[in-house]
Amino acid sequence: MNAIRKLLRATVILGVAISGAAHAADTSFMGYSYAEESAKPSVEKILKGFTEKTKLSVEPIGSAWGDMQKNLFLRARSKTLPDVVQISERWLPTFSNLPGLVDYNEVFGKEYLAKTYAPDALAMGQLDGKQLALPLMSGSIGMVANTGVLKNAGIEKVPATIEEFQTALAAVRDKVPNSVPYAMATKNPNSILLDFMIWNWTFGGHIIDAKGKVVVDSDAGRKALAFMVGLMKDRLSAPEIDRPDARRLMGQNAAAFYIDAPQSRAFLRSFSGQGKDFDKNVQPMGVPVQNAGDEPKSIQWGHMIISFAQSDPANKDDANMQFVAYLADNAVQTQFPVEQSALPGTVDARKAPGIADDAYLSDWAKFNKSPVMNEVGIWPDGAELTQILGEEVQAALLDQKSADDAIASMGKRMAAVMSKAGYSQ
Amino acid sequence: MTNLEMTGGFRVSPLTRRGGLKGVERRVGMLMLLPALAAFSIVIVYPFAQALGLSLFEYTLQNFEPTFIGFDNFRTIMSSPEVLDSFIVTVIYVGCATAGTVVLGLGWALILNQPFRGRGAIRSLSLLPWVVPSTVSAFIWGWIFNSRYGVLNALLLEMNLIDVPQAWLSTPNGALAAVVLTRIWRSIPLFMAFFLAGLQNLDREQIDAARVDGAGNFAILRDHIIPHLRPVLLVVVVLGVIGGLQDFDTIFALTGGGPVRATSVLSIEVYRRAFEQWDIGMASAIGVLWVATLLPPAYFYLRMLVKGR
Repeated sequence: MNAIRKLLRATVILGVAISGAAHAADTSFMGYSYAEESAKPSVEKILKGFTEKTKLSVEPIGSAWGDMQKNLFLRARSKTLPDVVQISERWLPTFSNLPGLVDYNEVFGKEYLAKTYAPDALAMGQLDGKQLALPLMSGSIGMVANTGVLKNAGIEKVPATIEEFQTALAAVRDKVPNSVPYAMATKNPNSILLDFMIWNWTFGGHIIDAKGKVVVDSDAGRKALAFMVGLMKDRLSAPEIDRPDARRLMGQNAAAFYIDAPQSRAFLRSFSGQGKDFDKNVQPMGVPVQNAGDEPKSIQWGHMIISFAQSDPANKDDANMQFVAYLADNAVQTQFPVEQSALPGTVDARKAPGIADDAYLSDWAKFNKSPVMNEVGIWPDGAELTQILGEEVQAALLDQKSADDAIASMGKRMAAVMSKAGYSQ
Repeated sequence: MTNLEMTGGFRVSPLTRRGGLKGVERRVGMLMLLPALAAFSIVIVYPFAQALGLSLFEYTLQNFEPTFIGFDNFRTIMSSPEVLDSFIVTVIYVGCATAGTVVLGLGWALILNQPFRGRGAIRSLSLLPWVVPSTVSAFIWGWIFNSRYGVLNALLLEMNLIDVPQAWLSTPNGALAAVVLTRIWRSIPLFMAFFLAGLQNLDREQIDAARVDGAGNFAILRDHIIPHLRPVLLVVVVLGVIGGLQDFDTIFALTGGGPVRATSVLSIEVYRRAFEQWDIGMASAIGVLWVATLLPPAYFYLRMLVKGR
């Protein structure tokens, strides 16, 4: 009996200690960068800097990027929402109805935010006139070339049009053994979505319009998919490629082009094993266009920060709002985004030395002037829509369906999902 | 006649309890059973009952208030070609994997039942695929079938059987064959152990007599060994079907259910609905049907266990 009593007592003490520890921090921060080995030290630096500056502590919570949405909803259901959360810009609409979500306009004031943050980055966090997210770092999803591979294939100029692109791809296929000229995503629906969306825009199409009507079943959609299928048939792209595979192939000088965010440079430094020495091979470029002079297409991309009110109404003195304000500090903005090879979200940091004169970031911004919002990920059933799109594109790429049939089936299936969600088709 | 009447109105012992010794034993037995029953109720019964209830609701992670929709989720499943495809893929996967494992497991058991040098070591090594974690097995086979670095392509190219590397996991048949092969590879040791145990009781004299009568190997297998192993065979088939229906990790790690939906068995479909599309109501409904497909083999297995044959 005594042993049982001791065990119970120890359990109670342990429970109290754990719950005490859980509430010991002044605020909590949940993010996917904290779960990534390469970015974790940078996040820890931010947390340490904040504690040194304010004497407030932050409890970090890591969650893999792919699980973030699910985990946040589960936490909302169990009423254990963290105070500050790092999200991808496309997820904002799905989180906009979560209880306690802070409108930063109410806390910091519209003028202050407009003065502090770059307009393009700030715009990614706006929804229905509210500022529900603030940018931690920003950029776009565009195309990257490996100039080392192109040189080996005898290509001196990065292609600007689709015709030049196809010529360069054929040269790489023929002259660089065991290469995948364009490491197009062909395996994972989440990655396939980005490649298809960019090529669909390039050919003048759209997937879902602003009112939620599925419009992918169009001439442009069919042309875009037929183009992608053609790349597969000509062995200019390969099956079984996901984004991480593409990064590895680029880092091993076995691919000439792929689509990614500006973080590409950081990934390629790591995957090549050469660190910064590999930078000479990494060249941002515009996604090839149909006709010379057309605007290259790119997708909006950014790491945003949302918060849940610690007091009612949320105010600047709350620990989480102080943390959010600190994330706009030059100490953070000139460190974290740069280490991740992305653009800072604030005006001051973008002008800072080391960022303004970073040729890679300048080129990225030059080639991707007008990124467009993700047309699929923003809808409430984005995951299901992405799955459908990925399946249909993959079916065409693997020659299980014609491009026309895949586009027709994609349109029909996506329209059914949107219709079920209440959007008239 | 009661105990008291039999003993002339006196109790046999002051410690006599209601219901006698058997009653006490029964109560103690129930008491001992309670922890297991509680654990079973918490881990199995309650979640299943909840899933059963949720299958009648429109309920997603984003939707904080579930809406009762009766059997609508089941109606959607019946009219969804994607889900029905999953049932077909599951049947093909379980059927091929179980049949393949039975044939190869029995063959391997017959080989290992022969006396030869090093038999003990080979028997022990044969258990390796069963010991290796399923996801590790999936990654091993993933590398074997990999289109760029795979051993299979290297071997076939070396033997001049193919001209260019093949993307095995990118064709529906190739991917399905890969997951079935991986399942067979993992299950052979267990099946082999069952068959080997069964073969230990086989009457050698009966086989010798058959051989004297002129029976060949195939005739001995057909007329003597298989009839002798029939009870083991039944148990093994039922266990194989149950294991195949439950399989998730190997398939998910190897193909993720793709390409397109070629290897999307029911367990993958439930995972996708619940954890990728967050449609808990629909995932529960598919899960309920999944359990329903598991019940018949489980019933036969339990019946065999209880009847001892």
